[in-house]
Amino acid sequence: MNNPKKPDLAQRAYRRKKIKDAALVLPLLGAFLLASPFITIFATDGYIFGLPLPFIYIFGVWLFLVIAARRMARLLSEP
Amino acid sequence: MLSFNALLAVSLGYVVMLFGIAFWAEHRANAGRLGWLRSPFVYTLSISVYCTAWTFYGAVGSAARNGLEFITIYLGPTLVFIGWWWLLRKLLRVGRAQRITSIADLISSRYGKSTTLAVLVTLLAVIGSTPYIALQLQSITLSFSVFAEDGGNANYTAFWVAAGLAVFTIVFGTRNVDANERHHGVVTAIAIEAIVKLLALLAVGIFVVWGFAGGLPEIFAMADENMLRTEKIFTSRWITLTFLSAAAIITLPRMFQVMVVENADEKHLATASWAFPGYLLLISLFVLPIAIAGNALMPAGANPDLYVLTVPLSQGRETLALLAFLGGFSSATSMVVIAAIALSTMVSNHIITPLWLSLSPSRTATSGDIRSVLLVSRRLSIAGILLLGYFYFRITGGSAALASIGLIAFAGTSQIMPSLLGGLFWRGATRSGALVGISAGFLVWAYTLFLPSFEGAFLLSDSLIENGPFGIAALRPYALFGLGDYDPLVHSMFWSMTINVFLFVTISLLSTPRPLERIQASQFVDVFRLNKDIGGYLVSRTATSEDLFTLAQRILGTNPAHRLFTDMASEQGKTSGLPDPTDDLVQRVERELAGSVGAASAHAMVSQIAGGGTVSVDELMKIADETAQIVEYSQQLENQSRRLEEAAHQLRHANTRLTELGAQKDAFLSQVSHELRTPMTSIRSFSEILRETDNIDSEQAQRFLGIIQEESQRLTRLLDEILDLSHLESGRGNLKVEDVNLGDVIERSINSTRGLIDESGVEIALNLPEKPIIVSASFDRLAQVFINLITNGIKYGRSKNPKITITARTVGKLAIVGIHDNGPGIPAKDFEKVFEKFSRLSESALAGSAGLGLPISREIMRNLDGNLTLEPSKNGAVFRVTLPLAKS
Repeated sequence: MNNPKKPDLAQRAYRRKKIKDAALVLPLLGAFLLASPFITIFATDGYIFGLPLPFIYIFGVWLFLVIAARRMARLLSEP
Repeated sequence: MLSFNALLAVSLGYVVMLFGIAFWAEHRANAGRLGWLRSPFVYTLSISVYCTAWTFYGAVGSAARNGLEFITIYLGPTLVFIGWWWLLRKLLRVGRAQRITSIADLISSRYGKSTTLAVLVTLLAVIGSTPYIALQLQSITLSFSVFAEDGGNANYTAFWVAAGLAVFTIVFGTRNVDANERHHGVVTAIAIEAIVKLLALLAVGIFVVWGFAGGLPEIFAMADENMLRTEKIFTSRWITLTFLSAAAIITLPRMFQVMVVENADEKHLATASWAFPGYLLLISLFVLPIAIAGNALMPAGANPDLYVLTVPLSQGRETLALLAFLGGFSSATSMVVIAAIALSTMVSNHIITPLWLSLSPSRTATSGDIRSVLLVSRRLSIAGILLLGYFYFRITGGSAALASIGLIAFAGTSQIMPSLLGGLFWRGATRSGALVGISAGFLVWAYTLFLPSFEGAFLLSDSLIENGPFGIAALRPYALFGLGDYDPLVHSMFWSMTINVFLFVTISLLSTPRPLERIQASQFVDVFRLNKDIGGYLVSRTATSEDLFTLAQRILGTNPAHRLFTDMASEQGKTSGLPDPTDDLVQRVERELAGSVGAASAHAMVSQIAGGGTVSVDELMKIADETAQIVEYSQQLENQSRRLEEAAHQLRHANTRLTELGAQKDAFLSQVSHELRTPMTSIRSFSEILRETDNIDSEQAQRFLGIIQEESQRLTRLLDEILDLSHLESGRGNLKVEDVNLGDVIERSINSTRGLIDESGVEIALNLPEKPIIVSASFDRLAQVFINLITNGIKYGRSKNPKITITARTVGKLAIVGIHDNGPGIPAKDFEKVFEKFSRLSESALAGSAGLGLPISREIMRNLDGNLTLEPSKNGAVFRVTLPLAKS
């Protein structure tokens, strides 16, 4: 409170570290969702809105990864 | 139906357009107006060279055969790109810092600029890429044959396509000799092609889903059960393919070319990290619907690889089919162009140039322009590589399905990955490890996947593939060591990667890297930690600036070389002339050359001129790892500052002591003068009385003379004491030591002070053991000490009933004598002061004592190997005398 700049800087450094950690975790998460036994939960014959469940699942995760990567790239590019 | 000639005209028109775009972009770049040519989206689009004709046609074919499996080919790259912060960022930084020209250059540079490794990786890349180029040619001829009823001659088409691509690549891919510079023309054309292929596939997809089937649910309703077999998802093949495609995007020569070499700005990678996965998502979105429609529409036996073309055609959509054709054409040509540039750089830098150098070692320094040699060799390489692809196409003649050729090529190039990752993250990876790992992995790949794929037509016969060499079942290519239940690709990847990684790691652990390797290792692994300015290493060489300039001129061209040397000269503070041949200059020249001819060749050339490019152990010590240096330095600093602090502490201590000593000396001097002055004054005054008084009676004269004598005796005594003390202090006392009975000494001392004792009325109590204590001492000196102590006790231990107790006992090999008075005692803080010269305690001191008694006594005891100390006590002062017992 007496010195508002100090905690702000420390928080920013901390936040940046968190973002970097997240950037490292994202591909691992992607690998877990798309190339681990986890995927078999959705590899069933079901349909949603007339679309096969595996199709929806894979493209859904894929889209999520693209959006997350975009957000991450923005955050990482911040000074 | 379009005629073959019309199709030819369209393709030619398209090619002319590409030439135009490339030319325009090159022109713009030369004029310095880069603008959007350098935008991150152009970079992203150029990366989409990953999606070749194999993607365009083959993915649909693969989906028609194996359902969702085709997606794995895009999932791997997606994971690699969203994890760019881990790997690609480092790859890019290293590529930039070391001016890497190709994947072979990267591996070679990392492992000590090894020519052998560069050649190996180059050969591997050529072997892995040739089928792939053939695949592109095949897809183009196939797509031609779809349109042309008469078919045309497939070989003829393939040849002219290859020739056309060679011309394009040579014109726009070898404009600069610096392979590290951007090819704006090529990249822009590739970016346009990327848009065309995406639009084409989307257009076909949208037509199939909404134009033909009437919606996504409808198209999936058409799918036969085989296509959506869910148990096919997540099998060992699913994992292997994901891994394989992830490895491929890193190790494929053309991917390295567009991602690292053609990269204009590291920040573009941040955009590509999400935009490229997005592109892949879009391009694969409609693959499954198109495959479903193809299976539903086409007669059995139709080639699923061509559904992208045949489905629109079967619905009478010729324009759409033409767009699809151009999309496929774009995919194929962009791949071939980039692959040809990447491979020609590698072949020219790592095979032709070293050969040329070794054949004519003297030429480097003397002969003419190396640039033209380099350009010619690169152009010939491009033509050679395309010719090789063409011959491969002629020989195999489209035998295998597109997708399997692609996968086989992927598996081959992925053998580089362990050494690449190891090189980037593991400092201990060595050249031998990389060499053996890559070779072994490659051989296993060739034996278990590549050669059997010819189905007995090349090297391995049918029976060998079926039964193993000499009938040894354990060595069957598709079931090595009996592991036969797996898909051939999974099987091959498993064995080749296992053996590759195992040998790479084991041999790296067992071998010792050369100095240059170690330097490069830290340059690669610590690329983010190293300071930009300390990029190089010091190698003392004997190059002259003139030689280096000549070399640079021949390879970089006159103007760039001139600029480089002028820059260096001005950095060195010279206004004219060549810069000094410092290590810095040699490194800079080598790095610049590396941009043109690769690290290994540049190193060889500069070494030829500079003489002996190897680093000696001494030099290595100097360069030692930067971190190690810093650690060592900070430790030294720490040590030094600690030592300094200690020294300062000691100095402070010594200073205090000196000040004290100085004060004591002053006090001593004034004390001495004072002590001497008192007797001198009385001697002088009495002698003056005697001289000046005429009639003095003899009795009085006698008394005065007595005083004078007494005072002069006191003077002499005082001087004797001072002398004695100074002798004792300097250790020159030369005391005569003998066996002495302690009791006798104490008795003598009491007798000597009897007069004083009686006069003061002090009671003396003796407390000695019955058995006589024999000590080793000088009788007279020891008596002097006791006399002094007793006198002291009498003088200072004043009380109503003064009493002095003397006790003696033995402890071990020591005799201890205590002299205890019942006076006011001495405060503990004054214990040391007592033994200082002239420091009579407080003001109650008796006149006449020079205050040297105690210091002298202590010095005597110390000279006798004993000591004199004060003991803490509740009442009175306790002096303790310790001295050694006699030896016998």
